[in-house]
Amino acid sequence: MTQLPVQTIHRDPQLLYWILFPITLVMILTGVLRHYATILMATAPKKLDQKTLREQRSLLHGIAVRSNFHTLSKPSFVARREALTAAYESGAYLKAPENRGQAPPNPMSDPSSMEGMMGMMKGQMAMIIPNTLIMSWINAFFSGYVIMKLPFPLTIKFKSMLQAGVATRDMDPRWMSSISWYFLCYFGLQSVFNFLLGSDNCAAASQMAAQMGQMGPQQAQMFGPGTDPDKQFLAEAENLAVIEHYSVLDEVEQRLLEGIKV
Amino acid sequence: MLSERDLQLSPLVPESIQHNSRSLYNLQSLTASLFGVAAGILGLESYSGFLFYLAFTLLTSVLFYAVRVAPSSASPSSGKAGSGGGLLDTSRYFRTTLEFWTGGVLSGLAGYILTWTLFFGIVRA
Repeated sequence: MTQLPVQTIHRDPQLLYWILFPITLVMILTGVLRHYATILMATAPKKLDQKTLREQRSLLHGIAVRSNFHTLSKPSFVARREALTAAYESGAYLKAPENRGQAPPNPMSDPSSMEGMMGMMKGQMAMIIPNTLIMSWINAFFSGYVIMKLPFPLTIKFKSMLQAGVATRDMDPRWMSSISWYFLCYFGLQSVFNFLLGSDNCAAASQMAAQMGQMGPQQAQMFGPGTDPDKQFLAEAENLAVIEHYSVLDEVEQRLLEGIKV
Repeated sequence: MLSERDLQLSPLVPESIQHNSRSLYNLQSLTASLFGVAAGILGLESYSGFLFYLAFTLLTSVLFYAVRVAPSSASPSSGKAGSGGGLLDTSRYFRTTLEFWTGGVLSGLAGYILTWTLFFGIVRA
């Protein structure tokens, strides 16, 4: 394989000051702005009325008993299980006991569930709007410039992405235009935000999308609109019933004696 | 690997593990950016740049292990918590050993490429 001659392009050093630094600065500042906008727009969780809260907490109580049964002694666990199962099956904790057995209401018609969706929409908007704005800003002002050379080679497929707006057929795909610097910033600035804003910031758009994917389904599953609490209770009662109880204190004497070395 | 029962006998607090992972992640993203600066100034290209990153990330992990994890987890006086702990065992502070040794490579890569490109562009190209 013959070594291709290295392409050199003489560029105005002013490109650095007028394209590279402005884009980087704008990206960083947008991240900071997005962080504070997300904090300001976050609505405090709505106060639930007593019945709803009781319904949710009693279900969580059942889950806690089920997952930590090994710390309870046998009689204590059995007493809890009996009380919870009886209450679940009789529907004592239900918010509206008279609605048992009916189909759950349509989630779209319930005003309280719209709040949650609005919150998600706001989060999405805070992410989409700045990105669209910045991309169109870069396209409008900086398209067609070659500003930098990547330090690693790429295949020819990347050419259309990295050199959008630069119609030069034979140029090495390592040369990148301003829009590809934008993409590098988009993915790589997370560590910068870590130093600026602390590690649990919500500045980087790419990270926020990942978080939303994780958090969303889980929350919606638990207490989301459209789930039937009665069915959840019955399932939880069944889960409690099948537990084979043992305690961490079983055979503790033997473990202690093994630990003692003469 | 610990069984479920062992975990119940000597439980790990999820919040503490989260804190540990987060401080490790912060360290790794910070050092990844700094390695990018170094690689850009040195003018490393293609494979040598990625090898530089890999080597120094692993070096960071080793140093982190040697300075912060090993003294308390490998010493015999630490008792049975975390099941003793042989060499290169991180189960006392982190959930999985594999995550400790390789997790930083991917999470810091984007930051590394960013600063590498930036400084390579400023200094060399």
